Amino acid sequence: MLLAKDRLNELLDHLSTEARVYVPARIETQTRFALYSDTVKPNFKLVNTELPPKDILFPQTQNMYRYGFDAEGVPFIDPIHDADDVVIFGARSCDVRSIECMDDVFLTKGYVDEFYEPRRSRLLLVAMACNTVAESCFCDSMSLDPNSAPAADIQMSEGDQAFEVTALNEKGEAALAAWSSYLTEGSIEHAAVSCELKVEMTGIKEKLDHMFEHPIWESVSKKCLNCGTCTFVCPTCHCFDISQENRMKIGERFRSWDSCMFSCYTEMAGHHNPRAEKMPRVRQRFLHKLCFFEDRYGKSLCVGCGRCVADCPVALDITVLIDQIGAAELTEGAVHDA
Amino acid sequence: MSDIQSQLRARAAELLSSGEVVQVIGWMDGRFENQTTPAFIDRPEDAELLVFNEYCVNTTPKYTLYEKEHGKLAVCVRGCDSRGINRMIKDNQILRDQLYLIGLPCSGVKDRKTGELLIKCQNCNHRNPVVYDELLGDAVEEPQVNRYDVVERFEAMERDKRAQYFESTFNRCIRCYACREVCPVCTCRSCFVDQVNVGWQGKQNNLAENKFYNLTRVFHIGDRCVECGECERACPMNLPLMAFNRKMVKDLDDLFAAGEAGLDAEGTHSLGTYDVNDVEEFM
Repeated sequence: MLLAKDRLNELLDHLSTEARVYVPARIETQTRFALYSDTVKPNFKLVNTELPPKDILFPQTQNMYRYGFDAEGVPFIDPIHDADDVVIFGARSCDVRSIECMDDVFLTKGYVDEFYEPRRSRLLLVAMACNTVAESCFCDSMSLDPNSAPAADIQMSEGDQAFEVTALNEKGEAALAAWSSYLTEGSIEHAAVSCELKVEMTGIKEKLDHMFEHPIWESVSKKCLNCGTCTFVCPTCHCFDISQENRMKIGERFRSWDSCMFSCYTEMAGHHNPRAEKMPRVRQRFLHKLCFFEDRYGKSLCVGCGRCVADCPVALDITVLIDQIGAAELTEGAVHDA
Repeated sequence: MSDIQSQLRARAAELLSSGEVVQVIGWMDGRFENQTTPAFIDRPEDAELLVFNEYCVNTTPKYTLYEKEHGKLAVCVRGCDSRGINRMIKDNQILRDQLYLIGLPCSGVKDRKTGELLIKCQNCNHRNPVVYDELLGDAVEEPQVNRYDVVERFEAMERDKRAQYFESTFNRCIRCYACREVCPVCTCRSCFVDQVNVGWQGKQNNLAENKFYNLTRVFHIGDRCVECGECERACPMNLPLMAFNRKMVKDLDDLFAAGEAGLDAEGTHSLGTYDVNDVEEFM
């Protein structure tokens, strides 16, 4: 089916009456997924947004429950579930895969996260095939395809005059049926793109299985500042910390993004810190992306979106690291099963 | 600059071969065109990796904090780097004799994508290192700039416009703390942010907490800020952090004739000094 470009905003206006609709847009100095409105219109020229859509499903700060004593002095605990119908309109393949990774974490292996699940189940995920790639994009080296995102509900691709719109599952078919007055029959020719930046991933995970004690970590971590930029712009980094704010007789528990780059991330009672230096923190981040997640969920936690590559203030580049791992020799002293 | 680069490589190799230093901290090429990344050279044969060009965006002083345990360090310093080094010596973070400073006159650093001079370099009035053990190449002319330009702009705003400027800035902060980590003045062993049991800083990302973090940092570094602008460059959200830092620098200069931080390694800083003649506007 086709959606004519001049009917795009009509469709989005319509969707906005029933759901919160997030579109890629520039907001002041950043590009991000922002709430569609009269002043915020989608910009599909952005290859991928500087900030990922992660916070729509997993907000940087999420209130979990209120507690305290009511006026009669009776203690209460009120969970806060604030999910809405949400449409993410125009996610790139990397961001769709990142939501698959978050689904693995928050919905599988015998645990369903009660704050993530309601947001996720009320999400309509509309993917947009890439027409161009950024210098730092390398998703097709991470077994993704910039031209299609099979885990989305609807796949779109952009032509000159119209978008081609295809449902990928039942949810997508139901949505397209509801959008039918905006759609026409037809298809467009989408010229497939591929990333210029390539890394060779063959054997990297298997090698990393034996590189926990390798000297490479000492040298790559030297330039790291231990800021949280890479983890906060990453679409798949999902670590959080739970804190509370107390006011008189009521309080609120919330979770907020945490970063394995921060010293207090692993700090324990009595100030013992198993990752007190930056080397083990840097090692943890990259092993989690390229090795540990694959062990647990069978896929890489790096989706090749290139955001950390573009934003790291000291150009600590995961693609360079992957090349270095590929070239590294496994010495006897360095072999240790992680 | 390429001449300075070849001198730098030669001197780095000599310093490492002679054993005078254990490591040279400078820059090397990154993966992309016109991209550099911090380099830590510890073998004379690797000195060839060092580069010095108009894309050396990173400052070097903060790394001395982590690398000093290995022995004496050679550090490449331009004006901004050298002021950071002075400030770190003054703050007892490192000793002058732990460092061999390779001075490099700088003509400003460019954004690799736009080719424009970085904002931090547009406001720079110390292109030549203020301290060094040897200077490679000839000193360059210091530009005349009004570095308070940005401060005057927001001082001139209407009160509610100014509040809006603060709020829209801090609303966008993601609290990655890149500004803190890159800063040569942010060297507290335990930052107020990380004192979770005391609870100065809540972990919520909201306007109140973001404002609290950023403004506390401005006050905390105010009289020691060497105006390298590295916080603003490192910020992934492109927040105008130097506008606030420079406001503090300007006020301290107006009130206490504080001057510019990091021009030498002696003396103290304005908020660390008491003088009976100090202005006391609130008394």
